[in-house]
Amino acid sequence: MPNPHDHPTALKELQDSIYREKVLRARAMTREERISAVIEQSDLQFGMMLAGAMVRLGTDDENLGWQEVRKGLERLDRVREHGLYSKTKPAA
Amino acid sequence: MDIAHIATQVLERIESTGVPYMLVGAIAAGAHGIPRSTRDVDFLVPVTSGGGVNAIIKALDDIVVFEQQAVFDTLTWGKRHVGQTISPPPIKIELFELFDDAFVIQEFERRQQIFIPILKCKGWVPTAEDVIVQKLRWGRDKDLADVTDILAVQGTETLDMPYIRGWCAIHKTADRLDAALASIPPL
Repeated sequence: MPNPHDHPTALKELQDSIYREKVLRARAMTREERISAVIEQSDLQFGMMLAGAMVRLGTDDENLGWQEVRKGLERLDRVREHGLYSKTKPAA
Repeated sequence: MDIAHIATQVLERIESTGVPYMLVGAIAAGAHGIPRSTRDVDFLVPVTSGGGVNAIIKALDDIVVFEQQAVFDTLTWGKRHVGQTISPPPIKIELFELFDDAFVIQEFERRQQIFIPILKCKGWVPTAEDVIVQKLRWGRDKDLADVTDILAVQGTETLDMPYIRGWCAIHKTADRLDAALASIPPL
């Protein structure tokens, strides 16, 4: 079977097909169900971040794991929010 | 504790203050587009009604610690208060002050109340059209991805496109809207 990554057209078709499936799945949900999915996916993501942090630290202490997750997210915020926010508002 | 539990606590306490509010950010985008994970629960809140932001910060003070100093976003110079949940998971609670901006004021007036089953409570969210207009204005990569998703999921045939295009003309974001529409593959 040819590898779609070797063919730009085939790769685009694959990407479009994956996106189409995501759109059609979201269309089949109500607005309320989509909000619930945001929360469920977020819980799953936090669970994976916690597990990863605990493995990195070599600990089975969840509190230490959450502290590590919190530190990592703070670092991420500093990068992602750089230049987006200011402590002072310019004079009008 | 999980996000649903914390979000329910936050929403119930905000509701108890009587301060009008609207959920924004990933939850609002996910309501109308393709759900994605987030670590933020963001609210838009009027400054003056019912004690405004300060009443909410007080109502949340045993579950969320807010930074002493608010910050301003460098696009609209709107004011933002950032808090972190005390108990894990470390969720960021952000309160954006409703400010004197014609679009944001209208977006807030048009908000809709819905029941959120996973939280077992009601919450206020912006319309799909207003999320699109505001995210086009922000224009960050994740905002533009959210816009594409909402346009694809809702479909231009159901969205009020003249309303969206009207604000895009004012905000000079019509090019971004056209690019998002062009990026949607045939469905």
